[in-house]
Amino acid sequence: MIQRSKTQTVIVYSSAIILGLILLCPVLWLFIMSVSSTKDLTTLPLQWTPEDISFENYINLIGDVDSTSAESFLYALRNSLIVALSATFLSLCAAIPAAYSLSRLPGKRRKSLLFIAIATFMMPPVALVLPLYSAMASFGLLNTHVALIAIYCGILVPFTTWLLKSNFDAIPIDLDEAPLIDGANRLQIIWHITLPVAKPALGAAALMAVLMAWDEFFYALLFTNDVRAKTLPVTIADFAAGRVADYGLISAAGILATIPPVSMAYFLQKSLVSGLMSGSVKG
Amino acid sequence: MTALSLKNIDKNFDDIQVIRNINLDIQPGEFVVFVGPSGCGKSTLLRMVAGLEEISSGEFWIGDRRADQLPASERDIAMVFQSYALYPHMTLAENIGFPLRLGKQPKEIIDKKVQDIASILRLEQLLDRKPGQISGGQRQRVAIGRALARDPKVILLDEPLSNLDAALRLEMRIELAKLHKQLEATMIYVTHDQVEAMTLADRIVILNNGEIVQIGSPLDLYTKPVNTFVAEFIGSPKMNLFPAMVADNLTNGTKINLIGSSDKLMINTAVNSNQGLQLGIRPEHMTPSNEGAIKGIVTSAEQLGSDTYIYFNSEAKDQAVARLDGISAVRTGENISFNASQDHYHLFTSEGNRIN
Repeated sequence: MIQRSKTQTVIVYSSAIILGLILLCPVLWLFIMSVSSTKDLTTLPLQWTPEDISFENYINLIGDVDSTSAESFLYALRNSLIVALSATFLSLCAAIPAAYSLSRLPGKRRKSLLFIAIATFMMPPVALVLPLYSAMASFGLLNTHVALIAIYCGILVPFTTWLLKSNFDAIPIDLDEAPLIDGANRLQIIWHITLPVAKPALGAAALMAVLMAWDEFFYALLFTNDVRAKTLPVTIADFAAGRVADYGLISAAGILATIPPVSMAYFLQKSLVSGLMSGSVKG
Repeated sequence: MTALSLKNIDKNFDDIQVIRNINLDIQPGEFVVFVGPSGCGKSTLLRMVAGLEEISSGEFWIGDRRADQLPASERDIAMVFQSYALYPHMTLAENIGFPLRLGKQPKEIIDKKVQDIASILRLEQLLDRKPGQISGGQRQRVAIGRALARDPKVILLDEPLSNLDAALRLEMRIELAKLHKQLEATMIYVTHDQVEAMTLADRIVILNNGEIVQIGSPLDLYTKPVNTFVAEFIGSPKMNLFPAMVADNLTNGTKINLIGSSDKLMINTAVNSNQGLQLGIRPEHMTPSNEGAIKGIVTSAEQLGSDTYIYFNSEAKDQAVARLDGISAVRTGENISFNASQDHYHLFTSEGNRIN
């Protein structure tokens, strides 16, 4: 290992600590808010540390099933899970073969296809929202999961295709040709070789897709209007939209809303660790 | 064991012709080596046989079956890749058994076959490991094992030893030769290393610029190269080519002298007197002699122990080389002269084609 001078070490570690603080402080403050009483949060000057810690807000959201806030929160959680997971699953089903073909099969037009797909990803949602709204309305799909899943697929497919394509590109072509000679067809190659080898990339793509769908606010806000389809970001915003904003409740909802994606990231972390390629070709 | 037959095979990448009019018959059980400098088209030709590249025109036959339109998976050909191309997420046993799994063989048969192959290749202890956990030589053996799994009629090897270190390469070379005898499979082997070609091949196919230059047994190529390209490619250090011209046409032969030298050499071939010539002599056929016709000043001497390479600038050619047995006392800067027996002369035209 290369020796580092003391100053270098200090700079590296302090930068890391600053980065950590920048990332963690808001979460910490969110948590403090969620366990503080409304009084502590509204006094001037602000009470940074709560006088008494109470988990009442959490109970309000998930324990006490009859309260209106619990109802909207739990429905929103369900809606978010259904929408994010379905959209991710469907996008990956389309993106895997698409990325494979863009990465491996010949043809000049394929390149422009990828460019067009990326271009749609770059378009601002505002440009699309009106035609989408009238289309969804005429299909009778407003305020349904299907509408959000369809729209999110439109966002996620170009993104995951592009992400997977660049990862498939990194897999040596020999790993396609060897199974071809061993007697495999294209689908068998994808299933037995490409996907297992690209597992870290698949994990990353799935995670990013779930996060994007989970956090999406704009379309969810416009295309849903009650507990049947409202997702978490919209519901949390609703908590703030009343005449009196209950900061504690909003914070608790925020904390709870981060738990599913964070736990997913935690479990996918194993597959995200790369180095799976070692030993396949050369040394 | 299957015969292969290539007839008038061409390959174009867009407008560039990379393989020109290849005609080659490979006998059942034969070990054929494609050899040539990099970019000569030898790997492309092998990939066309494997079915990984399309054949632009011509016919390719496997046994009595026309195969140029057959997909790779149906040719019953196995291939060992230069990079090994092992499947990193599978154990060695799964790697070797993969072709059988694709062929929907029952598990017991796959296990049995994998065990058999592992014992041939001495991999029994490693079957549960993954490719990342074994050495380069072992990976190479796994790649060969995977190729053997389906009992293929034809095995293609694309520079299989080029990623190994010298000692391991020698060891694997001997093992491959043994394996070929044991399996009696038809094998095509691509390499740029002429030593591998000489030691392994029943027949060598020398390629240059996408064309076959010469086909023959290793010793044919060594003793009777058809042109200066083959002459310089086969043999190490490479053959010396001295520019020469006809001095005298006699009834029993021709007297020539090397350009820049007044000494005359006798050859027993009739040559057109105003034709430019190149006289080829292999370094190992040069013997030091005080009256030698090839004179020069030693520029460097490489002592290898078993023999010595002497590099010298002669009147006809700079950087000629002679190979002497054992350790030699020759020093840099010395004058030196060599002789060679007439049997070891190779005579080429100035364009490079063989004359006798």
